Amino acid sequence: MTMRCVAIRLKIPDNQAYTALTTLQRLNLEVARVDRAEIWVLNDAGEAADFLARVERNETLFNPNKHVLHVLEERVPREGEVWIEEMDQDDGDDLRRLGRPVAGVIGGKRYIGWRLFDDGGAAPRTTVMQAVEQLLCNPAIERAIIR
Amino acid sequence: MIPKVAVVVFPGTNSETETVRICRDVGLDAQALHWTHASRIPEFDAYVLPGGFAYEDRIRAGAVPAHDPLMDYVIDAAERGKLILGICNGAQILLEAGLVPGTGAVRRPTAAFTYNGPVPHFVCRHVYLKLAVDPQRSPITAALPADALFPAWAAHGQGRLAASDEHLREIEQGAHLAFVYAHADGRVDDAAVPNASALRCAGLVNRQGNVLAIMPHPERDAWNYNHPDRRESEDMLAPSGGVRIFAAFAKALFST
Repeated sequence: MTMRCVAIRLKIPDNQAYTALTTLQRLNLEVARVDRAEIWVLNDAGEAADFLARVERNETLFNPNKHVLHVLEERVPREGEVWIEEMDQDDGDDLRRLGRPVAGVIGGKRYIGWRLFDDGGAAPRTTVMQAVEQLLCNPAIERAIIR
Repeated sequence: MIPKVAVVVFPGTNSETETVRICRDVGLDAQALHWTHASRIPEFDAYVLPGGFAYEDRIRAGAVPAHDPLMDYVIDAAERGKLILGICNGAQILLEAGLVPGTGAVRRPTAAFTYNGPVPHFVCRHVYLKLAVDPQRSPITAALPADALFPAWAAHGQGRLAASDEHLREIEQGAHLAFVYAHADGRVDDAAVPNASALRCAGLVNRQGNVLAIMPHPERDAWNYNHPDRRESEDMLAPSGGVRIFAAFAKALFST
């Protein structure tokens, strides 16, 4: 069993990311771009070689007409990024709750990844923290994971 | 002087028409006020945030509208004691704005109306709300009898109250739990709760009592034709039970 991590992003314009950007700018945060992705940390019993193809075959997770998918080498947020995790009511297996299995995958946890950029590249941690506190995370129901 | 009520419309709000109508039916001068006209907010005596999907529920239900410039005015009005009623998505916005339960700082929510439980699902169900505080706890409920019961429609995917144990205790001990779900006969148990809401919560009130957030829609059971138990002999356009909360809201406004 191996934990593997994928990020699924829209390749069409992401209105939600744009709304986050304009809202953060209204809150006077120095943010020039926001990327949003669904991050899945999957407990995989299959082969690494066909992992991506197996995930891509799950039409609930991945729509080739609007998504791009890539494997993340590390299972932690990148620079300028926060992962938002919903606090679950049940066992935390978001993949099971999705109702559509991925071949070879035992279970998985879903996060929403928000990656913030300023004019110089990935936003500093302080900016990410401010974005989390002011907009991206409601601590009553969500947990934020920052590098 | 007839009190003026703004029914606040954000992009994605969808219940403003029936909300304006019920407010007018109880004698208020209600009008829809779009987010682009925020500067008109001070003209009004009270505000209703109706249901819908403001800003398409982006990021989280209520999160983006809670930061809309119009909400600066609403928050200011709340702090000055004006009456504010949020229904469904309006209730979610009030929680995200930190106005209810109001146990934290402004725009630092301590609770949320989030995905229904025990598994996430959209619920569309006729429900009853029971007043869970002393009516005098809020000017908006002051005209209701103790244990008042009225019908409404639950129509939400995210109506389950969730908070940490500490904040749930604050809600209980601070008498913020304004309404609970109940059966038609007034009994309160888990079977009456459509969404696994903590504390069986259907509505919350802030510390001062001037901001009330209700998750189900009483304005959708405001006339007999909305009510599932209506009899054909009844006047279909006569007021139904849901009108009572708006009548109490109006009475509070006329008496100030």
